[in-house]
Amino acid sequence: MSQRRNRLAAAPLIAVLGLVALAGPAGASGESVGGCMAEHLAEAVEENHGDLEHTLHDEGVQDDLEKCFEAPNPILPETNEIIWGGLSFGLLFFFMAKKGFPAVKGAMDARAERIAGDLDAAEQAKIDARAVEADYQARLGDAKGEASRLIDEARGAAEQLKADLSARAETDIADMRERAAADIESARQQAIADLRAEVAGIALGAAERVVQSSLDAEVQGRLIDAYIDEVAGSNG
Amino acid sequence: MNVLALEFPPVSHLFEWPDMLFSGTAYAVNKTVLVYLAAVAITGVIFILAGRPRASMVPTGVQHVAETGIDFIEDSIVMQTIGPDGRKFMPFLTTMFFFIMFSNIFEVIPGIQFPANSRMAVPITLAIVVWVIYNFVGVRSQGLGGYLKNSLFPPGVPVALYLIVTPIELVSTFVVRPFSLAIRLWANMVAGHLLLVTFAVLTQVLWSSTYIGAVGPFAMLVLMTGFEILVSVLQAFIFTILTAVYIGGSMHPAH
Repeated sequence: MSQRRNRLAAAPLIAVLGLVALAGPAGASGESVGGCMAEHLAEAVEENHGDLEHTLHDEGVQDDLEKCFEAPNPILPETNEIIWGGLSFGLLFFFMAKKGFPAVKGAMDARAERIAGDLDAAEQAKIDARAVEADYQARLGDAKGEASRLIDEARGAAEQLKADLSARAETDIADMRERAAADIESARQQAIADLRAEVAGIALGAAERVVQSSLDAEVQGRLIDAYIDEVAGSNG
Repeated sequence: MNVLALEFPPVSHLFEWPDMLFSGTAYAVNKTVLVYLAAVAITGVIFILAGRPRASMVPTGVQHVAETGIDFIEDSIVMQTIGPDGRKFMPFLTTMFFFIMFSNIFEVIPGIQFPANSRMAVPITLAIVVWVIYNFVGVRSQGLGGYLKNSLFPPGVPVALYLIVTPIELVSTFVVRPFSLAIRLWANMVAGHLLLVTFAVLTQVLWSSTYIGAVGPFAMLVLMTGFEILVSVLQAFIFTILTAVYIGGSMHPAH
């Protein structure tokens, strides 16, 4: 289809170029000076009823023949060329205004728009990628912060646990030490009481045997305590 | 024509062509007309092919030619001389540029070797069209009074100088412009064509008589052929940018 259209489009071009090329070389064109003179002379001789001698001496005829040497004014346009040139330009302008120019310009604008769209999309993709990267970096930063916080927290908890355990151990040791001291004190008091009772019993028996007298219980008690205190004082 | 022992063809034979069709009528077709038609056909084909729906994402071939031309006219001509308002003239200026350029470039196409704009018909026709357009645009943009006032009495000029400036502007803007536009293009193409013919004739004559003597004219012929390619494009550009300048001046008198 496209090739057929190309051939159709190229056909008038080839035809016109062929015609132009066949138009012949410049030197072969136009009326020659000799031809012009011969034509004028023939006409003048005919007007003078074949009298060549008279014709050749006629000044009017000579002026006419002189004109054959004058080139036409090249600046004056020819009517047929004005008509064809104007029509050609008008036709081409009509085609260009209606079809040729809008088609090409439209295609150019559409392509420019498409490229601009692609560039915008690429720019947007770049912006999106940067946003994703920023988000990723932010999340990475958050994760690092969170990890650091967790480590610090764990380290703090461990420190706290260590301090708690240490404190508890200290407390337990103190309690045990206190309890041991209390037990020792209690055992000592018990031992003292037991010893006092034992000593009192021994002393009472001895005293009873010594004095052989009966003492009431209150006196006996006072005597025993005095003795124990005395013994304790002597031991202390 | 015999010039310094050289047979130089009469100038009229270099620019005037015999009729091929409709001989003797106002619609006679000659080589000049065929070059106009070829310029139309080439421009049309380029834009038909370039405007195909599935044009390549990366322009190549004729698509590249058309798009480069449009970009060049838009960026280097319209935006520089008229501004964004001038985009509506893009089809006209693009047509003008390509039509003039292809009409000119046939000057160096082997077998044809004739710039159609070395005939006055198209340059003067286009110049008159441009004259009508920029005057119409001026009247529509500024009103008749405003356009005439801004054209004939340019702001910023001391009042006393209007005695000199106003007649000059009157002649320059409303009379000389179309002729200067047309003659610039026409004369450049005539001169280029004459130069190429001169060196071609010299080469031919010196080759047939001395052989070695043809080297210089032939080198000049090659050089001038390259130069004329440049001139063909440059004259199309100049005609188009001056058109844009005139339109821009009519639309925005302050500039």
